Amino acid sequence: MAQPGIGKKTQTKVEDQSSLKGTLASVFLLGFFLIVTWVGVYFLFVDRF
Amino acid sequence: MHIHKFEKIWLIFGITTLIVFLSVIGVSAFYLGNQPPSCLATINPEKVDTTAPFDKPGLKKVEGKEWDYELVFVASAFAYNPGQVEVPKGAKVKVIATTKDVIHGFQVAGTNINMMLEPGYISEYVTTFDKAGDYLIVCNEYCGVGHHMMSSKIEVVE
Repeated sequence: MAQPGIGKKTQTKVEDQSSLKGTLASVFLLGFFLIVTWVGVYFLFVDRF
Repeated sequence: MHIHKFEKIWLIFGITTLIVFLSVIGVSAFYLGNQPPSCLATINPEKVDTTAPFDKPGLKKVEGKEWDYELVFVASAFAYNPGQVEVPKGAKVKVIATTKDVIHGFQVAGTNINMMLEPGYISEYVTTFDKAGDYLIVCNEYCGVGHHMMSSKIEVVE
C-alpha cells in the first residue's frame, strides 16, 4: 500500500535566533513617528503667534 | 563587551535625537529667554481692582519698552474684563493677566497664548499679533458652574 506520508522531508526555514532585523525596523518606525510628530508640533508653534 | 551592530545604530540614533530635542529647549530658555507665563510676579488677589495695571483693564500704548502695547486682563468667576478688545495688526503686545478668585485658564484659541491664571500670581506673554481676525479667549481650567460660559474676544484689525 502506498504510504504518501513516509519519506517526505518537510523543510522549514528557521531564521537565525539572534537576528535583530525586526527589532531594528520597529525601533526606527517608532523613532521616525516621534520625530515627525515633534517637528509637526514645533512648526505649528513657530507658525502661530 | 559585545554589542550587536544594530544595537549600536539605534543607541546612537536615540541619543542623538534626545540631545537635539534637549538643545532646542536649552536654546529656547537660555538664549531666547523664554520662560513660563507665570514667573515669580505676584499680587495680592484681594486688591486686584486697586492695583496697577489691573485697575484699568484693556489695551494701553506704552513707550520705551520692548513692546508697543500692554493688554491687561482680569479674570473672575465667570468672565474676563475686558469682554472684548481690539488690537491693531502687527502690534507687539505684552498680555498681562491675573485672577481675583480661583484658578482660571486663559487660552486664545488658535494661537500660542495659553496661560494658567493663579490667584496671587501674574501671568504674562509677549507676542506680535501679525494675523488679522477674531480670536476667542476661553477658560480651560475648570473654575465652577459657569466655566463653559466664560469667554472673551480679541479682534486683530488692519
